[in-house]
Amino acid sequence: MSSHTQQEQVSGFEPKIVAFVCNWCTYAGADLAGTSRMEYKPNVRIIKLPCTGRIDPLFIIKAFEKGADGVLVSGCHPGDCHYTTGNYHARRRWIAFKSLLEFTGIDMKRLHFSWVSASEAIKWVDLVNNITDEVKKLGPFVEYKGLSER
Amino acid sequence: MENTLRQKAKELLEKGDVKVVIGFGWNNRKTRTTPVFITKPEDADKLIFNPLCVNNLSLYLTRKFADIKALGKPAIVAKGCDIKTIAVLISESQLKREDVVILGMVCSGVVYKQELWKGVGTDFKSVPTDIMPTKCHNCDVRNPHIADVVVGEKTTFMPPDVPSGMVFDKIRELDKKSGAERWDFWIEHFNRCIKCYACRQICPLCYCERCIAEKNMPQWIETSAHLRGNLAWNLKRAMDLTGRCTFCGECERACPVNIPLNLVNQKLALVVRKAFEHRAGYDEKVHPPMIVFNMEDQEDFIK
Amino acid sequence: MANKLLKKENIGKLIEALNNEGSVFVAPTNPTSIPPLKKGDTGGFVVYAPVAKAEEIMFDYIIPRNSFKEFLFPQTEPIAAFTIGKEGVDMKGVEVNPKETVIFGSRPCDAASVASLRAVFNWDFKDEFYNRREDKAVVMTVACTKADDSCFCTTVNLTPDTPNGSDILLRETTDGYYAVEAITDKGKKFIERFANIFSSKPQAPSLQPIADVKPIAGIDVKKIKEWLKDTKHYENPLWQELARKCIGCGACTFACPTCHCFDIVDEGSAYEGERIKNWDACQFEFFTLHTSGYNPRDTQYKRWRNRFMCKFNFYPSKFSSRGCVGCGRCIRVCPVRLDITEVMEEISKL
Repeated sequence: MSSHTQQEQVSGFEPKIVAFVCNWCTYAGADLAGTSRMEYKPNVRIIKLPCTGRIDPLFIIKAFEKGADGVLVSGCHPGDCHYTTGNYHARRRWIAFKSLLEFTGIDMKRLHFSWVSASEAIKWVDLVNNITDEVKKLGPFVEYKGLSER
Repeated sequence: MENTLRQKAKELLEKGDVKVVIGFGWNNRKTRTTPVFITKPEDADKLIFNPLCVNNLSLYLTRKFADIKALGKPAIVAKGCDIKTIAVLISESQLKREDVVILGMVCSGVVYKQELWKGVGTDFKSVPTDIMPTKCHNCDVRNPHIADVVVGEKTTFMPPDVPSGMVFDKIRELDKKSGAERWDFWIEHFNRCIKCYACRQICPLCYCERCIAEKNMPQWIETSAHLRGNLAWNLKRAMDLTGRCTFCGECERACPVNIPLNLVNQKLALVVRKAFEHRAGYDEKVHPPMIVFNMEDQEDFIK
Repeated sequence: MANKLLKKENIGKLIEALNNEGSVFVAPTNPTSIPPLKKGDTGGFVVYAPVAKAEEIMFDYIIPRNSFKEFLFPQTEPIAAFTIGKEGVDMKGVEVNPKETVIFGSRPCDAASVASLRAVFNWDFKDEFYNRREDKAVVMTVACTKADDSCFCTTVNLTPDTPNGSDILLRETTDGYYAVEAITDKGKKFIERFANIFSSKPQAPSLQPIADVKPIAGIDVKKIKEWLKDTKHYENPLWQELARKCIGCGACTFACPTCHCFDIVDEGSAYEGERIKNWDACQFEFFTLHTSGYNPRDTQYKRWRNRFMCKFNFYPSKFSSRGCVGCGRCIRVCPVRLDITEVMEEISKL
């Protein structure tokens, strides 16, 4: 058995991380990690979008609503967007959205943003591992899950 | 001041330039002001302007009000804060500058809610400052900045350098608190939301013909008034107003359960001002910040 | 006639006794969570809400901002739960077992609205979600000694001390008591249950005068109903003019004690979820949107006209109960001050 699955049996809580990634860079990077047989924490669920510019803040809210403990948003480096300017628009949105969520009291250690290019498989692996560890320490997102009770 | 306004309105209607004047009038008992739509020159005497005129009438210029658009070219009685909203509407192509006649009114502050002022007389100077909304304390457009006609004598009021007043004090107080305390604060407030959507209906900038809250395949924002749905709705609305909200304060005034919506919208306005150096409503030719970008936008939070 | 007294100081004991039995005591209160309107203000924003102590009750109020219909007909409530598995869909209805709810400080206009709600929720289907809540509710009305310029109960043939719909009617005395009168059997049993808290009166108490709400001179409710019944008037251009400023916010509907429309939605995932009943408003744009895409009430004045029709024509005709109790909440909460009494005056003039 691999070291990661062994660890799962020992601890209790396994966070669910939802990752919204862009098709051309980050998804390709994650794919490269896979084809290179790199192992990393299995807590991430990847949702592929054509570009980070497609990401509506509502997706992130919905992810938390449906039970995500952490959310990762990742796309092409500035200047490398397949659609030229999508990630610039996304960056603007994230600046506003991050401040809004912080103001509402949501811990920013649960929401991460990154630029991962198609060749940065190692960066992807490190990113997922680090975020999973961080969110694991924080515990389940009880505040949001608690909203379902009337 | 009211006489000049009525005179001007009469002229515009008589000449036929303008088919409807959207302004404020008294209710039958002369205790509250209410929006009026003057189509005949002889009715122009119904127009008034006093500290009870809180409404942001630019709402009636938006696409939701097809029957008002059908009346013809409008003239609108607007305070500085209302003109800011008109400027944002123009910058978003909802309105052409030449399609509306702006009757800019010099304003010295209105009352936060009409029932607060058992006003004696209608003199602006007699309004106590503690019943004025925060926006009036920080207003730098008491002399209208975009108008076809300016009614009233110029005022020399200068707002404070650092925004002050209940809304900004509360934002500063919340910023100092911990995340958990802020969460508790907002949950207590959003618990009371009844999803009446009054905030959306009264906001001139919420003009989507099909609001995302009404889309049900899939249901992005739940319509039930439980916390989960309330949080999603209020966060989404705040995000859609980023960089566009001009702090007219109507959403908070219209809310039947008194949720402090100004806090959220103004916090974002402060973020936008700092990060993108943009203040909504001062120049109708500038694009709203969320549809443009800058190569140098900060990205210290992006890994 | 009134034959008991309730001392204001004893209300705390009543609350304690009820809470110990697991009942809920709802009273007009000013929750601290609501921000003050101006610096240093204690609020002045009164709502019906459950209270745990007598100190939380606002005794000096005209009328709470909301109506107490939310305790009989909640804003949002699940009516069924479903799971979707390999065997198919399994749907279970939700049983509602409400706690006894005492609504203290109700106003006579609010109490009169209960009959209207009961009529619609027992019309072609007996709605248990409503009926069980109403059965367990005890309405303790306090007759009005003050009114404001939005109240118009007398214009719709009610008074500030009408007993309709109340279980117990309280009238303030000049010396810190309430004169208590049981209106229904439920009220009588309630007083007997707490006999130690309600005292007998030694002599006739001197009552505070009831508020003087003058009926609005220009309004004739009968004439309005007749005018509305005549279908020729449905397309009268007056409607467009009167309702032009309406923004369709729905605040009037949600604050109104007799408005009762609801929407059923399903919430959940592909595996499990709930069917929920939520308040809806005829003022919303998509209230009458058909699946074909056609909307018979596609502009705001048509929707507002429906509201007026429902209150003064459809409802009284169909259910022989009043559509409007004259509480004035719609007027107070309207952001553009679209005053229903002004529309009534305009139509009465015709």
